Amino acid sequence: MAPSSVAGMKQLSNALATPDQLSNSSSFIDGVSPNLEASIRFAGAQLTQAAGVLLRLSQDVIAQAIVTFTRFWIGSEGGSLRIYSVKDVSAAALYLTAKLSFQPTSPRSVLNVYAFLLSKDASPLWFINPQGAPEKPSPQSYYLSEGGYQTERTVLLRIESIILRALGFDTHVALPHAIALTYLQTLGVQSPSVARRVFEHLNSALLSPQLLYVTHQPNALAVAAIYLASREEGVKLVDEEWWQVFDVDREELGFLVVGMRSMEGFARAEREKWKGRTVPMVVDEVEAEVERDRMMEEGE
Amino acid sequence: MSAPGKSRWADEDPETEALVAQQKREKEAKKRAKAERQRKLEEEAEASKAAEAQKQQDDALDGQEQQQQQQQQQQQQQQQQPPAKRRRLSNDQSTAATTATPAEAEQQQKRSELLRFPMREWGPCRHVDNFERLNHIEEGSYGWVSRAKDITSGEVVALKKLKMENSPDGFPVTGLREIQTLLEARHQNVVYLREVVIGNKVDDVFLVMDFLEHDLKTLLDDMREPFLPSEIKTLLSQILSGLDFLHSQWIMHRDLKSSNLLLNNRGEIKIADFGMARYYGDPPPQLTQLVVTLWYRSPELLLGAEKYGTEVDMWSIGCIFGELLTKEPLLQGKNEVDQVSKIFALTGPPTQQTWPGFRSLPNAKSLKLPSTSSASSGIPPLLPRTKFPFLTNAGLHLLSSLLALNPSSRPSTQECLSHPYFREDPRPKPKEMFPTFPSKAGMEKRRRRATPEAPKRGQEAPQLDFAGVFGGAPGGDTGEAGAGFTLRFG
Repeated sequence: MAPSSVAGMKQLSNALATPDQLSNSSSFIDGVSPNLEASIRFAGAQLTQAAGVLLRLSQDVIAQAIVTFTRFWIGSEGGSLRIYSVKDVSAAALYLTAKLSFQPTSPRSVLNVYAFLLSKDASPLWFINPQGAPEKPSPQSYYLSEGGYQTERTVLLRIESIILRALGFDTHVALPHAIALTYLQTLGVQSPSVARRVFEHLNSALLSPQLLYVTHQPNALAVAAIYLASREEGVKLVDEEWWQVFDVDREELGFLVVGMRSMEGFARAEREKWKGRTVPMVVDEVEAEVERDRMMEEGE
Repeated sequence: MSAPGKSRWADEDPETEALVAQQKREKEAKKRAKAERQRKLEEEAEASKAAEAQKQQDDALDGQEQQQQQQQQQQQQQQQQPPAKRRRLSNDQSTAATTATPAEAEQQQKRSELLRFPMREWGPCRHVDNFERLNHIEEGSYGWVSRAKDITSGEVVALKKLKMENSPDGFPVTGLREIQTLLEARHQNVVYLREVVIGNKVDDVFLVMDFLEHDLKTLLDDMREPFLPSEIKTLLSQILSGLDFLHSQWIMHRDLKSSNLLLNNRGEIKIADFGMARYYGDPPPQLTQLVVTLWYRSPELLLGAEKYGTEVDMWSIGCIFGELLTKEPLLQGKNEVDQVSKIFALTGPPTQQTWPGFRSLPNAKSLKLPSTSSASSGIPPLLPRTKFPFLTNAGLHLLSSLLALNPSSRPSTQECLSHPYFREDPRPKPKEMFPTFPSKAGMEKRRRRATPEAPKRGQEAPQLDFAGVFGGAPGGDTGEAGAGFTLRFG
């Protein structure tokens, strides 16, 4: 490949986590168990998605924010859950991504939305408000006071800088969604139901505990989602090994398909595991959870 | 192909499994044999090439001929195509190349069966203490720049501190965009951002870039004579190919000017200062009109257009082209109104033919134009030849189209690069032959220059009254421009 064409590929590719980064997270070093970390990251990504929807950001901005959020926690030099609160990193990642996009948003809007989503009474999110939101929550339960706003804003902007520093200011995130549509057209798939299913898989893969978006290039994610979606929708693709045309080999495709398929089971297991309890969203809650884990272990 | 349509993980038949494995082994063996053959071929080619070179040196060719051959070699390498007929014209060394080229091509085909993306990683910023500051270079509108040395590698770099005005919105979006676009824009004619480093305070953020000896503005100021036509072509085509890459990546620079073009002593020019750059899209996003330094600002921006595109960069290129020709900035307006009058004095006022719809631009309402729009030659009209006496017809045509008032009449970077101007004599001078100059940035602090600064972000777009552009009541100094104008149309 000529170097010039690889340079042009930058738009389509991502920086990926190194094996070293994957085997050592900052939180793990600080004594947070990998299972707990996965749960918290999963909930944090969902929080980001929900906030993005309430802020009326488009899915590409939200998806980029979730990838940035995910990258932040990876590696020994990444952020630790015992130092930074998940909710703050989620908010800052979303704010930062929106700022660089064509749909910038204000700190005020972001913090209002997070105040609502994190409210133990009003939040519609299962991992924050396990008993479910009332039909019409009282506005007092998610009101952000002026003082609260000032404090939160300072935190938001501080965490923004911390994210940037941890990522070396590389905010580039390439997404597989548009690539997948192009591939579908190339494969001659007309069915909208396949396209919808492809997007569903790509969006759930954002929450994957296997960190698919930071371990695989977008073209591979797109191919895997198409493979899976066309099977589920019963649409037959060409007989050849078409994924090779899109520069994906069998092994990678296989791994990704299994990973994407397991998302549903993982999500269900998480809900089961945290039934009736909240997933820690701030440092203090993480501390309490780590302590609880330790006690349980000692008790056994 | 084994078991088409079925995937391996789905298919648990051990027989097919074995078959696949065997096929794979066979393929592997074939590949190895091929690679071996390939290597031998290459070795032979290498050896014959070396012998060839030796012979040539023995023949004691004079310097120029060697240069030519080097160029030819480079050309051949660049093309990397099966040998063309033209090759035969060149001398003996082509034999070596021809044996290597098809083999090379074959190998590439084999290797690039699946494209592998370049491996990139991320990691936290290093600290600025890894650099030793040598001297101050300049203070621009978006931060100061100094020359520094990487303590571990000893390399000399340019260190630019980002300005962090205490903005209520956190990290300034301009700085973020500068980093984002620079990281994306990897091109030989765009300044190379190596990394971002941080200081002790949250606000200390530095860009580490390749150090270049000159900027075009200072260089032009210090030169007695302007560049030669062949040198101008070399510079302009490099600027254009850098900008072409930016535009192909959906990046608008929005502050092209001679002081933002950096030159090294190897005849390479690079676009720098992405403080105003940003991504654009289709449809275009909401954009601020407060971009581009006044002297290089296009008429549609001055007239308050709310939608604009890469054409604003093309206008700036036109201004830089003119500056290269005359050594002086082409349109040195004192303020927005004066700038517009200077532009119209050069190009003639806009008409409904040359720029349909310019009347509907916000600031054009107050514009009073002379009623007689006399015979304009072609669209866009050619600029007055007297202003650029040493420019060829093709050159004047290119310049006039870049400085077309109507943005949609301006050529794209691609169109510019394929313009006859770059192919007629004198040809662009090879980069290696480019003259070198003593570097100001190298050792001494530069004096502050007279170029106005890029507009500050967040300012209100001014409501401009252009009633005075063609002589008359308010607005800037119109006497000079008006006089020049009357001469042309009188």
